[in-house]
Amino acid sequence: MRVVAWGLRSLGRQPLRTALSLAGIAVAAAMLLDMVMLSGGIDRSFSDLLLVRGYQLRLTPKGTLPFDTEAAMAGASGIVAALRRDRDVEAAGAVLGTSLYARDADSLVTLFGYGIEPEAQGLYQVTSGRDLSPGDTAGILLGEPAARLLQAGAGDTVTLVGRLDPQVAGAALGSRLVVRGIVRWLYDARDQPSVGTVLPVMQRLSGPTAGDRASLILVKARADDQVPALAERLRARFPAVEVNSAAELVVHFRQRLVYFRQLSYILGSMSLIVTVLLIATLLTIGVNERLGEIATLRAIGVSRGTVVRQVLAEGGVLTVLGAALGILLGLLTARYLDAILTRFPGLPAAFSFFVPRADTLGFAAIVLLVTGFRAGLYPAWLAARAPIAATLRAEAT
Amino acid sequence: MIPPPLLARDLRKDYRMNGETVHALRGVSLRVDAGDYVAIAGPSGSGKSTLLQLLGGIDTPTAGVVELLGTRLDALSDRELTHLRLTRVGFIFQRFHLLPVLTARENVELPMAEAGVARGERRERAEQLLAYVGLAHRGAHRATQLSGGEMQRVAIARALANRPTVLLADEPTGELDAATGREILELFRRLNDDGTTLIVVTHDDRLAAEAGRAIHMLDGTIRD
Amino acid sequence: MTGLPLLRNLLLLAAAALPAPARAQLPNVAVERRLAQELSLRVGDTIRLGTAPDSIRLVATVAAVYEPRPDPAEIARVERHLRMHLPDLAALLGAPDRVDRFGVGLVPGTPVDSAVAALERNAFGFRAYSSSAIAAESSETFLVVSRFHRAIAIITIVASAVFLLCIMLLKVEERRMDAAVMRFVGVRRRTIFGALLLEAALVAAVGCVVGTGLALVAGAATNAYYRNFFDTALTFSLVTPGIVLFSVALSLVLGLLAGAAAAWRLVRTRPLVLWGRG
Repeated sequence: MRVVAWGLRSLGRQPLRTALSLAGIAVAAAMLLDMVMLSGGIDRSFSDLLLVRGYQLRLTPKGTLPFDTEAAMAGASGIVAALRRDRDVEAAGAVLGTSLYARDADSLVTLFGYGIEPEAQGLYQVTSGRDLSPGDTAGILLGEPAARLLQAGAGDTVTLVGRLDPQVAGAALGSRLVVRGIVRWLYDARDQPSVGTVLPVMQRLSGPTAGDRASLILVKARADDQVPALAERLRARFPAVEVNSAAELVVHFRQRLVYFRQLSYILGSMSLIVTVLLIATLLTIGVNERLGEIATLRAIGVSRGTVVRQVLAEGGVLTVLGAALGILLGLLTARYLDAILTRFPGLPAAFSFFVPRADTLGFAAIVLLVTGFRAGLYPAWLAARAPIAATLRAEAT
Repeated sequence: MIPPPLLARDLRKDYRMNGETVHALRGVSLRVDAGDYVAIAGPSGSGKSTLLQLLGGIDTPTAGVVELLGTRLDALSDRELTHLRLTRVGFIFQRFHLLPVLTARENVELPMAEAGVARGERRERAEQLLAYVGLAHRGAHRATQLSGGEMQRVAIARALANRPTVLLADEPTGELDAATGREILELFRRLNDDGTTLIVVTHDDRLAAEAGRAIHMLDGTIRD
Repeated sequence: MTGLPLLRNLLLLAAAALPAPARAQLPNVAVERRLAQELSLRVGDTIRLGTAPDSIRLVATVAAVYEPRPDPAEIARVERHLRMHLPDLAALLGAPDRVDRFGVGLVPGTPVDSAVAALERNAFGFRAYSSSAIAAESSETFLVVSRFHRAIAIITIVASAVFLLCIMLLKVEERRMDAAVMRFVGVRRRTIFGALLLEAALVAAVGCVVGTGLALVAGAATNAYYRNFFDTALTFSLVTPGIVLFSVALSLVLGLLAGAAAAWRLVRTRPLVLWGRG
């Protein structure tokens, strides 16, 4: 009979023990899977997020990352025009981010405003209504949280207030704008009330110092393989701005969340240790209990190889069953842990720490299987080395 | 000239036990010819089980030589010795030592599977052997569901699985009541009549009397 | 009492050998220790500061190198800080008499909430926050991390509990033959149960002591590693008496429960079955 079926039946001899072991392996496997997802998920999720609209390069003020500070680049229109003339650039669009306010009855509501160029934007997806047209200085886009806050929908009119400064006589520069559509801002934090207008409107609302300035310029290269060379060329051409590809931004982001990667390695290793200990302990005790049986098998001519395979098969069966349970449990716990971590202030709501992908699941499964196999090596060696005659003598007493 | 199935020359076996050397065998020579039915009798500690283990190649002598069908066991590697036990020797133990997770038929099939016998062939032979020992109807039962006598009969069928040259039995009736023991003796008689070479270690006088030849051991030596 | 912070991103060009004007006239800056190390700056060096690559014009003297207060919010950030006098920074930014925020100390006994409300009402263009509101907002990151740690701890506790149950079960089952012999010679079930339970308790107690030791070592290793990795004096792993007490109590209770369950199974089994003959 096949060793796997034999292993299954052997495990069935001690159902409680096996069930407890499986539960232990499943929890450890779940933890391992979560940690594997966490270690790679941060990068993948962020990379996916950056590339969702296909813009591979971001230009920001020197020494800053996108929307990391209030700094802005001067001469934005000139840079964008130069970029659009570049043969390797498919699209380029400037964005200005700024705080502004909306009038809500007698009070003011604080908002975050994006000044965008609708013909080349990589920041949002329209969910209802329609997009802004280039040059639409009377229209505005609202994110869902802003729409809720202002109780406004497509077709409604809202009043934005910028240049709020008590020291400036024109304390409130207002603009009445018609809501064209509701959008999902891709990089907004959860419940961040953001609105978008065409760039000149936002520059005007932002104050006199914001003329022809942009916080960010998004660049879409014609081909992905041109990105590194294009980035190098843009760095040389625009030394006063920071040029980052999505991959480089991922590195910066990884640096920010390095603690979680480190933690994932530590906890993942601990999960593996627990798995090894559980399987090795269970199999070793099982082997010790069955030394007489093993000696008999050896006496009747069963080879060491068969004995080793049988013990390893038991470990394999335990690991496979435990890992299968663990993967299910891990996917559940990952959702729970993700719900906690995505509450990080300032983190894009679309970002996920735990990304279940086939390669992640496969990697975790392979690591577990190798671990289970290795955990079975010692008890298998013990079984193969059992002295036949001495064991049989001991059994007879 | 065809060599005898088993030949032992001046076998000695010492054990270290609690820091002291125990001389389990002190120079035993024995020849077993094809078709022999040999009983090795003697009190506990006389060395009869040790002799059986050396003859079957599951232990190595401190000195002396065992030959199975003319092959010196001390010249074989562990792998060769294992294969020889699988194909040339059948073992029967006092406590049966069936695998409890397997059915009676699977227990009998086990040595054949190890020897690479095709699934259909080994199933057919296992059923024949179970029928031979009178357990055709118990093939699908787990070892734990069988009585002592039934378990020993399955063990005998298992020992016969690969058509061994010699069958070695260590106290095969030691765990059985008198009536069941008698059934096993009858089975041995039948096996020997069918041409199986048998060496049985026992302190059961009836079993020793059944054998064609009885060897008495005391203090690690053959007395007669 | 008021404090007037102004925070801006600056570009810094460090050059100790810059031809500097008379040092007494230069603005002074205090440089964070890590920034000083990275740029090999020492007290007395001169540096140039600016807000954009094409306007790094302000020459300043490094008057001090300081060690920032360990801040968990800063550990993974690559930004470096320097401090300068408010008028110097305002001049550099071209925004004289402007600040980002005021710190306001209230007369003792003044209700904070009503002071905040009064400021909001009377000073158009300002937003007023109480210190506790700012603390709550800025601690949100740590609350998230703390919740995450708690969730991980729960999973770890479940895994440890199952592991413990498993080990105790195996430990007691190891005594099958001993229990069978004791039963053969007439020892009462209760005595055997008590002995097995005592053994389980001893194993759990010794495990707790060893586990506490391991936790202290692992905590020290974690702190040493992260302190070195992040170049900070922060404490990452804290093994408090409360945590030890909780872990020990949980382990003992689980160990005893598992031991009792396994021992109960064992003493209920017929001795012959324990001996392997039943």
